[in-house]
Amino acid sequence: MGALAIKNVTKTFGDTQILKGINIDIESGEFLILVGPSGCGKSTLMNIIAGLESPTTGEVCIADRAVTNVAPKDRDIAMVFQSYALYPTMTVRQNIAFGLETRGIAKAEQNEIIARVAKMLQMDHLLERKPAALSGGQRQRVAMGRALARNPKLFLFDEPLSNLDAKLRVEMRVEIKQLHQRLKTTIVYVTHDQIEAMTLGDKIAVMKDGVIQQFGRPQDIYENPANLFVASFIGSPSMNFIPCHLIEHDGELGVSLQGMASPYFISLAGRPNLRARLGEKITLGIRPEQLDVAEAQSSALECKVKITEPTGPDTMVYTEVNGVEVIARVHPRLVPPTGQSIKLVLDMKKVVLFDPVTESRI
Amino acid sequence: MTMPVRTAQYGFAERWLPRLVLAPSFVLTLVFLYGFIVWNGYLSFTTSRMLPNYEWAGLAQYITLFDNERWWVAVRNLVIFAVLFIGGAMGIGVVLAILLDQKIRFEGAIRTIYLYPMALSFIVTGTAWKWILNPGLGIEKLMHDWGFTQFTFDWLVNSEMSIYTVVLAGLWQSSGFVMALFLAGLRGVDDSIIKAAQIDGASLPRIYWKIVLPALRPVVFSTLMVLSHIAIKSFDLIMALTGGGPGYSSDLPATFMYSMAFTRGQMGVGAASAMMMLMAVAAIVVPYLYSELRKDGNG
Ligand SMILES: Nc1ncnc2c1ncn2[C@@H]1O[C@H](COP(=O)(O)OP(=O)(O)OP(=O)(O)O)[C@@H](O)[C@H]1O
Ligand SMILES: [Mg+2]
Repeated sequence: MGALAIKNVTKTFGDTQILKGINIDIESGEFLILVGPSGCGKSTLMNIIAGLESPTTGEVCIADRAVTNVAPKDRDIAMVFQSYALYPTMTVRQNIAFGLETRGIAKAEQNEIIARVAKMLQMDHLLERKPAALSGGQRQRVAMGRALARNPKLFLFDEPLSNLDAKLRVEMRVEIKQLHQRLKTTIVYVTHDQIEAMTLGDKIAVMKDGVIQQFGRPQDIYENPANLFVASFIGSPSMNFIPCHLIEHDGELGVSLQGMASPYFISLAGRPNLRARLGEKITLGIRPEQLDVAEAQSSALECKVKITEPTGPDTMVYTEVNGVEVIARVHPRLVPPTGQSIKLVLDMKKVVLFDPVTESRI
Repeated sequence: MTMPVRTAQYGFAERWLPRLVLAPSFVLTLVFLYGFIVWNGYLSFTTSRMLPNYEWAGLAQYITLFDNERWWVAVRNLVIFAVLFIGGAMGIGVVLAILLDQKIRFEGAIRTIYLYPMALSFIVTGTAWKWILNPGLGIEKLMHDWGFTQFTFDWLVNSEMSIYTVVLAGLWQSSGFVMALFLAGLRGVDDSIIKAAQIDGASLPRIYWKIVLPALRPVVFSTLMVLSHIAIKSFDLIMALTGGGPGYSSDLPATFMYSMAFTRGQMGVGAASAMMMLMAVAAIVVPYLYSELRKDGNG
């Protein structure tokens, strides 16, 4: 069953088109992440799903029902806002009860629901407090509780964790994931944090400038980014992009990489659609963990260690290839001292190629 | 060696300069405000008539005051005026502010139009409304000219209704000001709170009544303070609009005090009525100041 379908939605404010034809379709129970840089239109799309804004053109369906002209309250949704949006003069209990009251739910049932939600989110002791007397994390919890109380078809989360500190953010992230696994309600979740996107989502829609750049499962997007933007946005540290020329060497197509020693040729044989680009510039994309320290004898790309950044399990080694900075994620035991050379090999199966002009995947 | 000296000089200037700068205005306030309040208080216990004298009369002036029917008319008028003026200005101001808050076009222009009356003095407002409400000149004449000869609107010259013309002019002048205060407050309310309430299914009036206005309690409070102030000390508006008339039907305590003390040679009664007004203001302001200062002390 389709939980949410967005069909050709555009939104124009004044003269500027903020959303340029959005299409999304997710199944019931799925966790959809909308991710993208600030100002790309995530909140606008969210407001359109919620019915707080109406699309300029296009259509929104929730649970197989066209709701484009349905008021927010009749869409059977609940939303958690970035600023929490708690009602400041009401206690936590009243905050949760407000929506139930407007829906004409009897007092006894309200109390039952509040008790259930408070237990689920472990906030019984907060019920009689006002929002001003809560910490950021507790406010976040209350905002989620208010959404959960209604048991809607669709949860909307607009950057719910962005005001929390790093540790709390990780905790809440896990909690949200557990909650989703337990309740199995469809969730649309906006973030600009790619780690949240990767860890939480069943599906990710990567947005930029009001256009969905790629829509798919997190692992697919990570391994097969559709273009340079998606490749650089997803993953931390970001994918390395090495500018190269496509050349032919001993009858094989490939590129040459220049570290600190002689150029190192890597073969791109067997990849389709390359022959026509012979002699042209291409961008080679490789993630830091797809670069590894070479075994003693094998031929490798030799480059100079400029900076090392130990993270604990791995160490980030900053080097230079073809004039650009390249980061390799290697085992700490294999890292030579700064200033010395390191021999790297590339995991050729994972390497991706981009057209430097159109920025799309080759 | 030079450092400590310079620090000491700087410290001296820093300690004394603010006091020196504030001293003249402090002395002036002390003499001309509090000094005269005390003097007035003393006069209210003397037999002063045309000119001040210092012959002790005990509570005689207060007894005269409370026996004076005109004083009670003034007090009754103040109650009517204060309730309708404060309530009306709050109500109209809030409604205007909420309507303007709905992201309408030309908001800037509309806001200025509503706020503009505040830029006029009460004298101008009073004079303008005196013409508008004058049966021979204003609305009534206009309606008659248009052929509605049955139309009467004679509040200005009707001693039953004259106080309501004061209310009308006061509302016209002050509602825009209340609107501006509330609009500023409404702008401070997080947009997403209203969105959350919409998703919760609340209607617009309910959102404002249950969520937004309660959050604006400080604005409500200070607006009430300002308006009650205006109401109690209203003098120029009455003088310009009705002159307290017809008869003394639209007197307020302030105009009563003025005519007793300065035109009717009853300075003692005037002083006593001024003391009554002071106490009325104090009854409002002191608890407010007390709670505000205590809050500061804690925070
Ligand atoms: N009511 C509006 N009128 C005009 N422009 C608007 C309006 N709302 C949003 N915009 C513009 O639309 C663009 C997208 O805004 P939106 O809030 O959707 O971004 P976002 O992706 O949520 O960004 P962030 O990550 O910072 O929250 C922005 O450039 C913003 O200025
Ligand atoms: Mg946003």
